[in-house]
Amino acid sequence: MHIPDNFLDLKTVAVTTALAAGAVGLALRQTRSELPPARVPLLGLSAAFVFVAQMLNFPVLAGTSGHLAGGVLVASLLGPAAAVVVMTCVLIVQCFLFSDGGLTTLGANILNLGVLGAVGGWLAAQAVACMAGGLSGRVAGVAFGGWLSMVLAATACALELAWSRTVSLSLVLPAMVGIHAVIGLAEGLISALVFAAVARLRPDWIEAGSAASSRSVEWWPWALILCCGLAILAAPWASTLPDGLDKVAEEFGFAEKARACIPAPLADYTMPGIGVETVAVAGAGLTGLVAVLALSLVLGRLLTRPSSGAIQSPEEPARSS
Amino acid sequence: MRPMLFSAHVHVLRTSGVHRWPAGVKLAGAVFILLGTTMQRDLSPAWFTSVWAMLAWVWWRSRLPVLFVLQRLLWLSPLIGGVAVAAALRPTDGPSWQELMIKSGTSLCTIILLAHTTAFGEVLRVLRRLRVPMLLVTTLALMHRYLFVLLEEALRMQRARAARMFGTDRSRVWLLQASVAGRLFVRAGERSSRIYRAMLARGGP
Amino acid sequence: MNAAIEIRELHYCYHDGTAALRGVTLTVQPGECVALIGPNGSGKSTLLLHVNGILPEDGRPRGEVRIFGRPAESPHLPWIRQRVGLLFQDPDDQLFCATVEEDVAFGPRQLDLSEAEVRQRVEQALAAVGLLELRHRATHHLSHGEKRRACLAGVLACGPDILVLDEPTSGLDPRGRREFKALLQKLPGTKLIATHDLELAVELCPRCLLLDQGRVVADGSTLVLLNDESLMLAHGLERPHILQHRHPHPATMVAP
Repeated sequence: MHIPDNFLDLKTVAVTTALAAGAVGLALRQTRSELPPARVPLLGLSAAFVFVAQMLNFPVLAGTSGHLAGGVLVASLLGPAAAVVVMTCVLIVQCFLFSDGGLTTLGANILNLGVLGAVGGWLAAQAVACMAGGLSGRVAGVAFGGWLSMVLAATACALELAWSRTVSLSLVLPAMVGIHAVIGLAEGLISALVFAAVARLRPDWIEAGSAASSRSVEWWPWALILCCGLAILAAPWASTLPDGLDKVAEEFGFAEKARACIPAPLADYTMPGIGVETVAVAGAGLTGLVAVLALSLVLGRLLTRPSSGAIQSPEEPARSS
Repeated sequence: MRPMLFSAHVHVLRTSGVHRWPAGVKLAGAVFILLGTTMQRDLSPAWFTSVWAMLAWVWWRSRLPVLFVLQRLLWLSPLIGGVAVAAALRPTDGPSWQELMIKSGTSLCTIILLAHTTAFGEVLRVLRRLRVPMLLVTTLALMHRYLFVLLEEALRMQRARAARMFGTDRSRVWLLQASVAGRLFVRAGERSSRIYRAMLARGGP
Repeated sequence: MNAAIEIRELHYCYHDGTAALRGVTLTVQPGECVALIGPNGSGKSTLLLHVNGILPEDGRPRGEVRIFGRPAESPHLPWIRQRVGLLFQDPDDQLFCATVEEDVAFGPRQLDLSEAEVRQRVEQALAAVGLLELRHRATHHLSHGEKRRACLAGVLACGPDILVLDEPTSGLDPRGRREFKALLQKLPGTKLIATHDLELAVELCPRCLLLDQGRVVADGSTLVLLNDESLMLAHGLERPHILQHRHPHPATMVAP
């Protein structure tokens, strides 16, 4: 989902760069004030870790494979401010070293994946963790947060592309959100698996993280509502708002052709039997959300079962003296 | 794994005059071309001819193998193709798909040339001079330093596990990869505390 | 005259409760070259980290650690870290900068020296380890032996009086080991070398300390200690080949 150069126009570039710079500045200040000096090298190492972890292939179907994005995983392990710094570094290196993602769109990519995705997903992860409780709750939170982070980042990406008039909103938004609602499942699953693996190897690190997050108990319902609201409402609101040129396209019959090309979950994002399209789309979104949440909770239970042989590594943990 | 990506960085391909140009100048030039291309309202021949002439000259001086540049272009083009198709299917009042293709092709070539003729250490030096916050620059520097160390560690772990795995059951592969990633994070964390000790030992803050 | 390193009744426990050091007492005089041997997990690395005041994290050692008479505690730590140069086991941990030159300059830069002085120290240190021509090389492009030497240059650039080396020859091929040994032999100053390479101990260090389970169990002449087969086997070590196949003649064996 790295936006290359020229897909955003000048005003979008300016706004997203300013927003990203502000967010990263805040995150840096927060990190500097709360991170002990001994943990500063951990930021660089975590960034290298995310970069390498993104290269591990997770086979899906013949020939295709999923990858980790890692924002929510890092936020759950190190905290949200550190995660923003880490993801920013990952995106900068991807841009400069491997020309993955544009230079002028760096701000937008940081905003989507590093800030909205990672922090939004982390909020949802915290909310789920507080709701379900215990280690299984935290693993479930990471799974749900990982999924949501992809959807949030895709939504932001689609909005930016549409605002730049590169692609029409009614085409790009359902496509991006639909595809990333599926990709997000892999992200959530991989994040949860890795988080559970870390929890098994170094339970002390995970406990330190959960102690820090116990302050968040009071606001978790709000965070959950906010994230869900964003996820559900943005999509149908935007997709039922055809922009002027879409009408022109529809007159020429483009729209039908385009719609057939887009793989969309839940039959083009609408449920039959409900009259008003907006309600239908919101309902479909909500159903999907609840389904993913339920799956996450089950996954959390599965991965933290004491007798679970599922993630037993063939190698015993070796502690160096 | 995508080892192909790394060939250029693990082994320095070639150095040329362009590699030795000051990084600040290259960076400023690239930003100028990228922003300039973004600002073009339509396909102005004057701008694109001069930019392409410039790029061709830099490419010639940089002695990057043409096949290598094409490979990188191919690697990065699917997304551009996808968006261009989307723009063609349902045009907006924004740029046409032809325009998008030409513009992002130009930018992509610019950024590939920049990335492969500029050492990352030089980029960091420029960032430091531009007063980018120290914490960010330090993190970038450490990340770049340990990227290849961690990559090798991950490959070693993968091989060690693959050597003892006899099925190619998909779910086993997922669990295996996840445990590799989990252990990689733990090792990265432990390494970071050793690095901190090494910094302390030489009088670090 | 103060001893270079003086440790009395030093204890240390890791966070998980493992006792790493249980009452270590030792003294190293200035100019001495002492080998620290012992099986894996005997506490060698932990002990070395105490000499530099890196452990314990809270800066209050349980026991006494003195470097040239000054306790390794809070107000003296910067002074002590300048006196004591510590070479870590994994060179990748120690070379955290992008190029050799930058890395060697890290130590001197912390000392408030002028840029010219820093450059001079870097050049001297690199020349001492024979890496002057690789000064602009990226650290991850170095061979293992070169990394090791670059680490040593980084330590030497701080101008230490005491060198504390953790497994300096591990992972090196025979040639690399030989070269590194020759390099260490040339360096002046007090040296404390933790090693499994018993031949290195024999060639470089007249005196040897045997550490096991967090205690010093033997202290004496290297040749006498390493020739004591039952002592060696009891602590997971063995008599080195260099002593088995030759009839030792101390005066010619021990490096001056």
